[in-house]
Amino acid sequence: MGNLIRIRDLTVRFYTYEGVVHAIDDLDLDIRQGETLGIVGETGSGKTMTALAILRLIPYPGRIESGSIVFFDRDLHSEIELLKLSEDKMRSIRGNKISMVFQEPGAALNPVYTIGDQISEVFLLHQRRELGKRANKQVDRLLRDGDGLAASIKRPFWHWQKRLYNKIAQESNPFEPRFLSHVPLFRRLLWRLKNESKLLTVDMLKDVEIPDAARVAVHYPHELSGGMKQRAVIAMALACSPELLIADEPTTSLDVTIQAQMLELFRRIKVEKGASVLFITHNLGVASEVCDRVAVMYAGSLCEVASVEELFLHPSHPYTKALLDSVPMPGKELQTIPGALADPLNPPSGCRFHPRCPSATPVCQQEKAKLKEISKDHMVACHLF
Amino acid sequence: MELRSYIIRRLLFLIPVLFGVTIFIFGITMLFSPIERASLYVTDARQMTNIPQLIETYGLDQPFWVQYGNWISEVFSGNLGWSRVVGMPVGDAIWAFLPATLELSIFATPIIILMGIFLGTKAAAHKDRPLDHGTRVMAIFGWSLPTFWLGLILMMVFYGYFTGLLPPSRLSIPMELVVNSASFIRYTHINTIDAILNLKGAVFLDALRHLILPVITLSVTQVAFIMRLMRSSMLESLGKGYILTARAKGLSERVVVNKHARRNALIPVITVAGYVFAGMVNGVVITETIFTYKGLGWWAWQSAVRLDIASVLGFALFNSVLFVLVNLVVDILYTRVDPRVRLGGVMQ
Ligand SMILES: Nc1ncnc2c1ncn2[C@@H]1O[C@H](COP(=O)(O)OP(=O)(O)O)[C@@H](O)[C@H]1O
Ligand code: SF4
Ligand SMILES: [Mg+2]
Repeated sequence: MGNLIRIRDLTVRFYTYEGVVHAIDDLDLDIRQGETLGIVGETGSGKTMTALAILRLIPYPGRIESGSIVFFDRDLHSEIELLKLSEDKMRSIRGNKISMVFQEPGAALNPVYTIGDQISEVFLLHQRRELGKRANKQVDRLLRDGDGLAASIKRPFWHWQKRLYNKIAQESNPFEPRFLSHVPLFRRLLWRLKNESKLLTVDMLKDVEIPDAARVAVHYPHELSGGMKQRAVIAMALACSPELLIADEPTTSLDVTIQAQMLELFRRIKVEKGASVLFITHNLGVASEVCDRVAVMYAGSLCEVASVEELFLHPSHPYTKALLDSVPMPGKELQTIPGALADPLNPPSGCRFHPRCPSATPVCQQEKAKLKEISKDHMVACHLF
Repeated sequence: MELRSYIIRRLLFLIPVLFGVTIFIFGITMLFSPIERASLYVTDARQMTNIPQLIETYGLDQPFWVQYGNWISEVFSGNLGWSRVVGMPVGDAIWAFLPATLELSIFATPIIILMGIFLGTKAAAHKDRPLDHGTRVMAIFGWSLPTFWLGLILMMVFYGYFTGLLPPSRLSIPMELVVNSASFIRYTHINTIDAILNLKGAVFLDALRHLILPVITLSVTQVAFIMRLMRSSMLESLGKGYILTARAKGLSERVVVNKHARRNALIPVITVAGYVFAGMVNGVVITETIFTYKGLGWWAWQSAVRLDIASVLGFALFNSVLFVLVNLVVDILYTRVDPRVRLGGVMQ
């Protein structure tokens, strides 16, 4: 299958008072259609920044220095260079074609709006046409079935609503509804859009296995458990059936039992929705459970990419090996990686891993290794290969 | 908790507060001689001639607790003493001067709060860019201007240089006559509102003309204050995770700032806004004095310089009640803005 995202030479830097932080260095990575790609690496290795770079949401004072991120739009059958897109176009992709689930469900939800409000916001933003169509059907039903005095009074308004919803369903950003939405009283003509978005929201919440979805929709975030909040956040991300779902350590802050349910949910999403998933985790065990392929990152650089079986059976990069050795397993002595994580303000020259690498050679200090394919679909960036 | 029982509970809380406040203020008045304090107990002008008898009746040479008890029982029977400055009972004086001060607050408070919130939001959204620097300079300037100096300068320019453009006091003399005429019904004693209700455009405009300078003088420092508070509150909220979520949804920066960040940033500002209002009703002393705008502040100032203890005590008492009431309103408003807060202050 083809690629959904192709990242080349991505470099992200933070310009802080202490100096320039090299968050990501010359990263090359592909995400294929329909796959779940895992990114593993220690805290601070640049996993989150890779994800945020795809959405072009690197926080200040960070900047995407160079590189290219190409997105293959399935609907338009065309390639889009995300880094060159206008901010308006980029906004129509965020939350719509590429969406993201963050690490802390507690922090990711706005405490002063209900779960339902926050999810329907996505529908109202990206699915106006669909909402217009559905509202139109409602009005049609009323026009057909409505009788009696009340209906004959309301009939002119229904016709007006029908015209408005028709416009919304057919044109992008039509004038009349846009104008009316700013006029008090008249903006109520558009209430059916909101109503439809609420119905879709409840469906979405049911989809991520939230019991009693209609009731949960009117709850505020603080009234839900961590697992429920994360499900709500996932529902928000899945609302527009994105082509890429980015999940940044979605289970890290949850209890172990909830974690297992959440991984099950991600497996199901992939099968049912056909979305590609970029699954970020620092836990190799979790990665092996949900991912098809895994990319290993160290200090802002990519070390190794391979399918899950290949990576676990034939780890090739010294850092991957060290990482696998440090996974606690029964009956095995736990190995820790000697030395400390590279300082992002002053990264080591050449291969970022050389101060800690047991197989380092003199060339490793001077030159960074390019990503090489050592066997089919198995890429390693190391001078040993 | 149910709203009504909450309000009742909070109003009961007034009792200990007022007990503390009165002991404190009454304690301070003990520094004055019994003759000076006698006016506290006067109910009409004739009694002022018979001071020694008042000292005798109210035991002004008795120990503190006896005097305090006597005074408090007088207060409970509705007698707050005699205001020498205006020649009427203190209770009546408060009612007479309150509308003028309320009028000032009604105009100044929305300006202060809305401008402060608006500018603070803008400054935070443009952090470290020219707009932010500009508002910062304005804030430092506004905050450090002494109120009396600003008032005098404004008056020099708009009353002195542009002769009579924006005059002091509440109304010009012809309009004063209109207002006091029999056909003009004084519903509220707030000139602008009464003018509208009586359909007298000239009175309305004249009242407005007299309000402009005091309102500006009052607002400048407070806008600076609210603006800086709003800015830091906005910056904190803009750094939160839900802002990243909102951006990742594809929302425009305007919606992210004005909807997702601002609602959260308002929470601390609401408390302060309540105090701005309450503080205004009593903190107008300087402004009202400079503009001879005859409201509570002017009256309090006149009473203070003439050692009119009864009036000062009444003013202080009125303020404490007002603060407790404003506090109550703020707490109720809280629950409207922040769903995590329940009446009674349970926070999750
Ligand atoms: N706001 C920031 N200012 C400076 N450096 C930052 C900032 N955010 C992230 N970084 C740097 O970017 C690097 C990558 O961070 P991140 O992608 O969050 O790591 P991970 O998600 O793998 O734990 C880190 O080394 C960190 O120092
Ligand atoms: S390039 Fe050299 S230092 Fe880096 S991982 Fe390979 S062997 Fe180790
Ligand atoms: Mg991270």
